[in-house]
Amino acid sequence: MFDWLANPNRFNRITNKMQPVLLLASLITIILGLYFGLYDSPKDYQQGHAVRIMYVHVPSAWLASGLYLLLAISSIFYIVWKHPLADLMSRATAPIGALFSLLTLVTGSLWGKPMWGTWWVWDARLTSMLILFFFYIGYILLSNAFERKIDGSKSAAVLAIVGIINLPIIKFSVDWWHTLHQPSSLLKFDGPTIDGQMLLPLILMIIGFCLFASYIIILNVKTKLIEKKCEALILKLNLNEISNIR
Amino acid sequence: MNNKELNWIYLFISHIKRDILINSRSLFDIVSIFGFMLLIIILFPMGIGPIQEKLDIVSNAVLWIGLIIAIIPSLEKMIQRDYTNGWLDQIATSPIPLEIVLLAKSISHWIIVIIPLIITSPIFAILLGLEFNQIPWLILSMSIGGLSICFIGIIGAALILGARRGNILLPVIILPLIIPILIFGVGVNEAIKIGLSPLPNLFLLIAFSLIYLVISPFISAILIRIAISR
Repeated sequence: MFDWLANPNRFNRITNKMQPVLLLASLITIILGLYFGLYDSPKDYQQGHAVRIMYVHVPSAWLASGLYLLLAISSIFYIVWKHPLADLMSRATAPIGALFSLLTLVTGSLWGKPMWGTWWVWDARLTSMLILFFFYIGYILLSNAFERKIDGSKSAAVLAIVGIINLPIIKFSVDWWHTLHQPSSLLKFDGPTIDGQMLLPLILMIIGFCLFASYIIILNVKTKLIEKKCEALILKLNLNEISNIR
Repeated sequence: MNNKELNWIYLFISHIKRDILINSRSLFDIVSIFGFMLLIIILFPMGIGPIQEKLDIVSNAVLWIGLIIAIIPSLEKMIQRDYTNGWLDQIATSPIPLEIVLLAKSISHWIIVIIPLIITSPIFAILLGLEFNQIPWLILSMSIGGLSICFIGIIGAALILGARRGNILLPVIILPLIIPILIFGVGVNEAIKIGLSPLPNLFLLIAFSLIYLVISPFISAILIRIAISR
């Protein structure tokens, strides 16, 4: 299946059809989610209106770790099957994931100031999210640290695969160490422990963020494909010039 | 088969000897690492002030952070020189397994850089006012932790081979991997200080070192083959 998608022309053809749908669907779900989240949902009996930060914080935290999984999987595809498109995919995913983990940290500390009384605590989950952010930054720096960009691809892919050990630590940190951060109330064996009126905007926002992230990543991959084509064209032109001079 | 195994052990030992010999020609590097760590240890009490109670809270962490920060600049040199002068290319094309050479390199780096720091660590401990019963545990935990920092460092050094601004990149990449070593290493000494058994933290430290021992030669060998094929 991935072999089939790895053809850049086919990828372009499919994503050209997907992109407007993704953009429209993500805009609709995010606007609906924001309406229900910020306007038409009750405030928490303990947290007051500050609970509304959750509708941005939780989706971006999910995406930050989910996108790292995508980054690691496409890195494995690049190492094992050597599809150039997989490399472009991980290069396109890394900045988006870094932004989402930064968004998670910022919204979390905005929420933490009124609730916990501090901007930042060295809590297990906060620390592991910060480390995830460092892995993204390390990936971005390493993949761009070489004279020819393609040289960094394989080393950076290995780094992404090594960094995957951090993901289960983030997921289970709240259960392993009973720290300040509250445990997950959405993913549980006995169903979510959250009121329906709050669940609806939260799920809408998660779906909307996922659609939006996939739209942005596809856009990013396409830009990188065009960049590569431009580089190849420039090389070709230079070669023609050299042969003309001779 | 037996003959082959013997050969590998011989290779391993001869590579350690080679690295020690090369590094013993530039003793200034080792002395500068020691001086760097001493500077960190001296600067902390000056920043905190002369009150011993305040110093007691941070002293173990300061020792470990000093060790890590002093070692990190030296990690890059572990394979950089052999990469630039082409020695690693020769090894990679020869039938000698690259993994054994890299394992020997990380262990010889431990002998050259960490052992001197560990021998002098009682001086640092006295400067920070540690109790005498803590010093043997400090030496034990630092030698195990230092070994695993070497194993992580060779992965990092292999990652940045041929990169621009690699010396800045290396700390960013390997610090997340060093964090568990720091936490459990400090944990050993903290447990001694408050009178608990240091063994749980020590066992976790050993477990992390063993994990890194297993994965580091293979991952760094993959990375070096990638770097050579460029």
